[in-house]
Amino acid sequence: METNDDIATLRTRDFWSALIIMALSVFFLWKTFAIPLFGGDRAGVSGAEWYNSAAIVPLGIFGGLLILSVILLITAIRQGGATAALTATGIGWNRAEAIRFTTIGLILFFYLTGLVPRVDFIIASGLLITALTYGYHSGQQKRMIITAAAVVVPGAFSLVFYLPQAKWNGHVDDYVTLVFWITLMLWVLWHSRTDKILRLVPIIAITAPILLICVMAFGFRQNIPARGGLIFKQIEYHYYVTLRPIWRG
Amino acid sequence: MDFILIQLTGFGGEFMDLVTDPLTYFYLILSVFLGITFGALPGLTATLAVTILTGFFGNKIPLDYSMIALLGAYVGAIYGGSYPSILLNIPGTAASAASAMDGYPLAKAGRGGEALGLTTTASFIGTLIGTIALLIFVWVLLLMSKNIASPEKALLALFGILLSGTLMSEDLVIKGWIAGLIGLAMAMVGLDPILSEQRYTFGWSYLLSGFQVVPVLMGAFAIPQIIDGMRYAKIGQVIELQGRIMPNLAAIKRYMPTIGRSGVIGTGVGALPGVGEDVAGWVSYGVGKTVSAEGDQFGKGSLEGLLSSETANNACIGGALIPLLVLGIPGSPPAAALMGAFKINNVIPGPTIDPQIILRVVAIMVLASFTMFLMGLFTARIFIKILRIPKTIFLPIVMVLTTIGSFSVGGGINDLYLMLGVGFVAYFMNMLKYPIAPLVIGVILGGMFDETFRRTLLISDGDFMAFASRPGALILLVLNIALILSQIPITKRLFAHLKRKVA
Repeated sequence: METNDDIATLRTRDFWSALIIMALSVFFLWKTFAIPLFGGDRAGVSGAEWYNSAAIVPLGIFGGLLILSVILLITAIRQGGATAALTATGIGWNRAEAIRFTTIGLILFFYLTGLVPRVDFIIASGLLITALTYGYHSGQQKRMIITAAAVVVPGAFSLVFYLPQAKWNGHVDDYVTLVFWITLMLWVLWHSRTDKILRLVPIIAITAPILLICVMAFGFRQNIPARGGLIFKQIEYHYYVTLRPIWRG
Repeated sequence: MDFILIQLTGFGGEFMDLVTDPLTYFYLILSVFLGITFGALPGLTATLAVTILTGFFGNKIPLDYSMIALLGAYVGAIYGGSYPSILLNIPGTAASAASAMDGYPLAKAGRGGEALGLTTTASFIGTLIGTIALLIFVWVLLLMSKNIASPEKALLALFGILLSGTLMSEDLVIKGWIAGLIGLAMAMVGLDPILSEQRYTFGWSYLLSGFQVVPVLMGAFAIPQIIDGMRYAKIGQVIELQGRIMPNLAAIKRYMPTIGRSGVIGTGVGALPGVGEDVAGWVSYGVGKTVSAEGDQFGKGSLEGLLSSETANNACIGGALIPLLVLGIPGSPPAAALMGAFKINNVIPGPTIDPQIILRVVAIMVLASFTMFLMGLFTARIFIKILRIPKTIFLPIVMVLTTIGSFSVGGGINDLYLMLGVGFVAYFMNMLKYPIAPLVIGVILGGMFDETFRRTLLISDGDFMAFASRPGALILLVLNIALILSQIPITKRLFAHLKRKVA
């Protein structure tokens, strides 16, 4: 059940979200006008009539969004959403929640954009599992920041030094990430001697990605990220050279 | 009579094909187990289970097996949500929210075993009711749908988005409509379907083919749950299960009218485009409270209350598959994920669907419900143990699963960027109480809406009256207008005034 305070916070947030949607609608309406609407010619070919234009439906959608956002804005203002719009309490700012979201956001961003394309999937995912489980299991902010740094630093390293796709097969970033993962695992083991669940983290962090990547690559025969990665390259080599000939006769 | 005989023969053939194939059991047991596990773990939903398995099984195994895996997980997950509702007072899925109101008091009163046993039976019967309705109505609608042309399709897509936005909004209805329009807007990205005009690609060649369905589904349903779930949460005290789980026949017989009624309600709600199992559970619970002789006991530990919601949410599955298979409009968020699986297998649900696929879906649903029933009765204690696993342990693994699943469907890193972007947007939308289901439905139906809307105007030389020129289109147009008007304050006041006058 929502309290009056919750609804007041929601309306303040609605005020801001309505403004953002309005701005986006106006931007995309402007972009839509770049699409020929009234039978504009393209490359010497006569364009379509207005009713068959590729712009007609987007115009309706963004026009509709603009109208709805105006209605939402009016509703939010009428219900007191504008009065506290510039105050932290008004928008329901929660420092602890902001830190939690920001650190998770950074971890996911650098994992997906920096590590997954460039670093061995087992190492990258092992680091992610260790960081997320240790960082958020007890709700301590210090742990969240430490674990976020443990993913952000190797992720940023990969992004900066191995940005173009031509460089993705380099292995220095694999080693850097591996060092961070091992260090974090040792840190977790050292600081969680009494926590039964956290002591399981290294086992899960190692076995889960290995199992998943092997099922995907050899079971389903699918493409996987960073196929030439440090550890997977060895697994793939031994699968085809050492193991497969055993049952292929 | 001939029609029923042909249906039963066709169904029997598909059913026999499935039961004589050993691989069926492998995928069925695995997927139903995974589904119940996902449903039982608070923080993981049925939609997430089907979405993740779409990434994992969607296009990697033959379509028949992939359907077994996805439908098995769907049936299992909706049922699995009842475990934490009854034993922890925390709904495992939104669909089981109403179940907690009566399930937990029953478990506290030492009737946990009885509640779980009857829930399992009711979920099983509910799934079968939905499946029978699917078998019957899908053919009737399929025959009717042969007469559906572009105007009806465009209006139906719009109705699906509007209805989903209206019924799935927790806060203001307008937010549901905004979410639906955002989804439609996302579907406009890429080459347009008639003139191949580039729209909103910003020079990025990846966007020429538009937003891919699976990364959008993963982003919309998985990422927000992972972000939201990664927090410290003390696991509640799981109530010790007392009494035997195996239900007695007398109790089942006694509650059969409730189960039957709830099954019909669940199927009906499921058949509405974009409205999910949670709405079905609540509607059935509300109806049960009104019509039941023990309505005053609802919320205090009434078995009838528990069975009302649990039967309906499982019956909703069959109902949700009707618009999906007949019209290509998902009846619920997990059905939207199923639609993604069909799409990546180049199967286009709708009037042109291969009838054999429908019969196979029905046969799989029957087998999945049997598997769920047996697992629920004989392996319940395993799932109760799973309730004790903290979210911070399994959500990071879900993230890895999501990543590899999303990557492998399209085979590109760009899909991961799209998933991340959609995920962050969906997280904030959740936080601001914008429903996500209409957005996903909008993305899925956007292409169809664009194409059919413009085709209608093209055929009629820009005459908007074409949307009212056929009886079906006119009915849908009136429904769309009525739905919008029903949410406008002036109309609401007018209706209230008229109601008072009549009274």
